[in-house]
Amino acid sequence: MMGATLVLLVRELKKWFGRKPVLVMSLLTPVLWIALFGKSLNLTNMLMPPGSLEGISPEMMKVIEQMVTSRLIELFGTTDYFTYISSGMLVVFAVFQGMFSGISIIFDKRLGYMDRLLVAPIPRLSIWLSKILAVAVRVTLLSLLLLAVSLLLGMNLKDGIGFLDLLASWSYIILLAMTIASLYALLSFYADNQEIVFAAGNLLNLPLMFTSSAMFPVEQMPEWLQRLASANPVTFAADLVRYHLIGRPVGDYSAELVKLVVIALVMLVISGWASLRWMNNR
Amino acid sequence: MRREECTVEAINLEKTYRNGVKALKGVSFCIQRGEIFSLLGPNGAGKTTTVKILSTLIKPSGGTAYVGGYNVVDESLKVRKIIGIVPQDLTADDEMTGYDNVYVQARLHGLPRNEAKKKTEEVLEFMGLLEAANRKTRTYSGGMRKRLEIAMSLVHSPQILFLDEPTLGLDVQSRRHLWDLIMKLKREGTTILLTTHYMEEADALSDRIAIIDLGKVVALGSPGELKARLGGDRIYIKPAFNQDLTSIKEKLVSKGYEVSILNGEVIVKVKKAEDSLFDIINLLGDSKISSLRISKPNLEDVFLELTGRKLRDEEPLDSFKYRIHSMRVRK
Repeated sequence: MMGATLVLLVRELKKWFGRKPVLVMSLLTPVLWIALFGKSLNLTNMLMPPGSLEGISPEMMKVIEQMVTSRLIELFGTTDYFTYISSGMLVVFAVFQGMFSGISIIFDKRLGYMDRLLVAPIPRLSIWLSKILAVAVRVTLLSLLLLAVSLLLGMNLKDGIGFLDLLASWSYIILLAMTIASLYALLSFYADNQEIVFAAGNLLNLPLMFTSSAMFPVEQMPEWLQRLASANPVTFAADLVRYHLIGRPVGDYSAELVKLVVIALVMLVISGWASLRWMNNR
Repeated sequence: MRREECTVEAINLEKTYRNGVKALKGVSFCIQRGEIFSLLGPNGAGKTTTVKILSTLIKPSGGTAYVGGYNVVDESLKVRKIIGIVPQDLTADDEMTGYDNVYVQARLHGLPRNEAKKKTEEVLEFMGLLEAANRKTRTYSGGMRKRLEIAMSLVHSPQILFLDEPTLGLDVQSRRHLWDLIMKLKREGTTILLTTHYMEEADALSDRIAIIDLGKVVALGSPGELKARLGGDRIYIKPAFNQDLTSIKEKLVSKGYEVSILNGEVIVKVKKAEDSLFDIINLLGDSKISSLRISKPNLEDVFLELTGRKLRDEEPLDSFKYRIHSMRVRK
């Protein structure tokens, strides 16, 4: 099982690295995202009061500034929105990469390669697994790049961050990426053309992003939105990753962790089972 | 019950697809070790469906099949270990090199790295692709693509090889080349199941042929046996006017000829066309004839005799696959 999975995983990655323009674009995407989006949408700058206001004493201004700062820390866990959003971006990017499992499956099906794989003497689950793991590897590499760019652009990691914090963040990002990849893999085995994957991507990616804490804190959302956010795995991953990377406190660490893991396991099991069913019942 | 002497055995195979199409309606045959066995029939007869079931790609809706002694449903993994399959549609990944396409197959068949490397080079050389091995497959010509498909199916030295319309769309030279290759594999002891709708191909290569139509085997035997069923030659007479068909038939029947009418032609069955031709032309008298031809016993006539239809029809193609296919073949 693992032998075949590894062979197929290497194939996926070789193809990814072989497509130079695609590789360059997928490496550039996180850079641009974080540089443009992260820097232009700077809530801290927007909220900060101007240097002086007529009729308000400098002492009063100090008080206002302190109020704003404490509100910012309350919301974002940092006075710097860029640090907040770049840590969220790591998670959002994993969501967006999940789609590639589906695209790869659809093309293997349409170009006949899937038939070749289905008559190979390998456990068929390894075909599915290789697609999910390929996303995990992609996300790992792109996340490292994204993190490096964020740091260059002024992201502040928490004081005394350790290797375990990084390892934990990576695990949660990968867990989320595999959850999303499972969803698209399932969809793609049953779908007949690539447009369904793109349409599903357009339908799901933005709502998943905005009904989570990835871009904006959940606490300031209307109640109905908060309810959605508190069921969204992107929220759990974002909260946990933020806790480890920038030290923003998380309400109930173990509860969020359990929810993230359970959702991931459920999605993986459903997706693996249904994909295998498609492969075995034709 | 499985018979020991059959390397491949289909027992009453049935397949109804989800869309309701009944592709197979009880197909049975037995392929012996080391023989080339052909499924001959028009497009849509059920040839590809049969191959897909035998190669464990799809499941039968009814009946059973054994390949190398293993049940294709319950022991599919074991079946997949001993077979090689050259599908009708191209399956190589055109973003990978020829070498990588074959190497991945070798690895998936459990060959360790070194051996996979060795076998990959060996089989690429055997198929005349060594020079192009490090080129992306999309730069290959149609003939090269087909040879690559075969290399991918041979790299693990399968005992049983399925070839589904292997020469479809190939030029005459590539076709000859492939025929030589198939004969060579047979000499090396490979059992081969070939599907084709070219009767010359089935005739030239097969030890035995199952003629298949509308999901059923309508005749089975060696090419010689099948042709012997015709009992002689055929003379096809096409009158200039369709209304003359019956009058011509009656003239010939009154002289004791065995005559039938099909597709606007009068068909006369004779022992030897050369001996009867003069007599028949005389009998036609002043009937206007647009064409007259002689046909020696061939599988096309066998098929016509059995089904009342011709072997070759137009085939519907999945338009996307077709575009990709033509894109790949263009270069």
